Amino acid sequence: MSDKQKKQTAVKLSGLYGDYLVMLIAPIMLAVYQYGARALAVVASGIAGAVVTDIIFCLLLGRPFLLRDLSNVFTGAAIALMMPAGVPFYVPVAASFFAVGIVKVPFGGSLRSPFVPGAAGFAFASVCFKEQIFDYSYNSVSKLMGEHSLGYILSQGKSVHLDAINVLDILSGNVAGPMGAGCALLMVACCAVLLLKRKNSLITVAGFIAVCAVYAAIFPRVNASALTSVFLELSSGTLLFAAVFFLTDYASVPDGAVARLICGGVCGLFCMLMRTIGTYEETVCFAVLLANGFTPVINSAVSKVKGRAVRKEAA
Amino acid sequence: MNKTPSFKDVFLKNAVIFNPVLIQLAGLCPVVAASSSLKSAVILSAVAFAELIAVSVIASALLKKLSRWIRVPLYFVIGLVLICPALWYVETQTLAVLTMSIKIFIPLIAINSVVAVHCEQFAVKNDVKTAFLSSAAAGMGASVVFVATGALREIIGSSSIGGILLNLPLSFKGMTLPFGCLILLGFMSAALKTFIGKKHPEYSAVHSSVAAKPGDELNEKENVSEKEPEEIPLPAEEEIQYSVPEEYARIRTEEEIEEFFKSLGLDFDEKGDEK
Repeated sequence: MSDKQKKQTAVKLSGLYGDYLVMLIAPIMLAVYQYGARALAVVASGIAGAVVTDIIFCLLLGRPFLLRDLSNVFTGAAIALMMPAGVPFYVPVAASFFAVGIVKVPFGGSLRSPFVPGAAGFAFASVCFKEQIFDYSYNSVSKLMGEHSLGYILSQGKSVHLDAINVLDILSGNVAGPMGAGCALLMVACCAVLLLKRKNSLITVAGFIAVCAVYAAIFPRVNASALTSVFLELSSGTLLFAAVFFLTDYASVPDGAVARLICGGVCGLFCMLMRTIGTYEETVCFAVLLANGFTPVINSAVSKVKGRAVRKEAA
Repeated sequence: MNKTPSFKDVFLKNAVIFNPVLIQLAGLCPVVAASSSLKSAVILSAVAFAELIAVSVIASALLKKLSRWIRVPLYFVIGLVLICPALWYVETQTLAVLTMSIKIFIPLIAINSVVAVHCEQFAVKNDVKTAFLSSAAAGMGASVVFVATGALREIIGSSSIGGILLNLPLSFKGMTLPFGCLILLGFMSAALKTFIGKKHPEYSAVHSSVAAKPGDELNEKENVSEKEPEEIPLPAEEEIQYSVPEEYARIRTEEEIEEFFKSLGLDFDEKGDEK
């Protein structure tokens, strides 16, 4: 058994995903506060889709179903929180089905899957239900820019000027967008929790955000200062949410600090490139999946370089 | 005296056990690109089937004595020569409207790895009749996969079949995209391997040990004399170093391997080798 597999076997899934679920409570509460009971219903449909899918596949494969590992609950809830509150209920159900049935189960479970199931589920929903996923009109009258999200504003490339009110609205998530992923302040709080629980995994997040920020400063999509561009890019859509909840995924995160930093940087570069030249408003999940694909290559390259350095020192 | 294999044997091995698309993973590019609907898939399978038989027969009859590095490009050249009239017909005659989506992929079908793999592994090592039979079987196996993939992608992705709307409550556009096709092929491959493991467990060792290749081992099997007992076909010696016990061949997970070694009274290290 490899070191990674030994580590994975030793991990208590309920503890790992329990921490993530505790971190998700605040975004869920904010979504309910902003969008009402429908937000809770969307989250419940996502969770139900993931759990029922796992039960079906466990029955088909003759394996025991373990609800207590909480990975399905986390995947369903995370997928739902990245969607708008007005999304039809079948969309989070279909996304959760894809995440669990296509990405998690065939690879042997949440600790074996090379791709983050939640990111794959959301990417699938983005491709299949593009209109529903990016329709932020539900309950958007009181929002900062009505039904227009920050991603939409950035894609238009117009002049933008921020004042104190705008900044506060954006930081608190009072902008049309994904119902549980828009509040930057909450994501910073989640990072603080991660710092206490799993500080090593935050290295990936640091690399990701650093590259995104540098890219946004050098190649701004709006006619504004570099600082404004960085602020808007980092606050828009699900960028921070995916960074905190998907890039720190235990199974797909690379080994070692350097590899994690590079992986985060690669993911950030993919994300910003796709935002600039792609057709989708939300690209971070595609970037996470691409970075997952590069993880073995990064691991191998870093270990080779380290090996060479050790040999040189020994010589 | 060499036994001539029956068509049933040839069909079973070339179309099912060593299916060109699902087991050997050849011809993925055309199937991913051109099988987004049933009509496209039918045209693709018909063209690929005809081309595979023609090139295999030509390769078996004429190309045996050439060296490998000349043969492989020749397969593609012959394929293109055969496909060009079809391409001209599609572009100039009535089929042009029907096959707009597939038209650009016809050169891709001509440069088809199914043809190259089958000719190189089988056709050039056998007589014309056997090459014809095997290529027909392999072509049928590939065609069934093309058509099934096209039909499923159209039903799930566009909620229609053969252009007829089915009015399903939900459709997933992603299935008409390449990633949907690759996922579908992955599940079909897993299903076929499970079927082979259950119905023909003697072949599961080949599938689980190395990338499946029908060439040498099939020749060995088919050239066995009548009096000799049938042997489990295994790949060439340089590709597999030892014969795999049947109970080991069915083992899939790390835990099962560990359990198996323990049952033999052996310890094993992280690579699965005996200590």
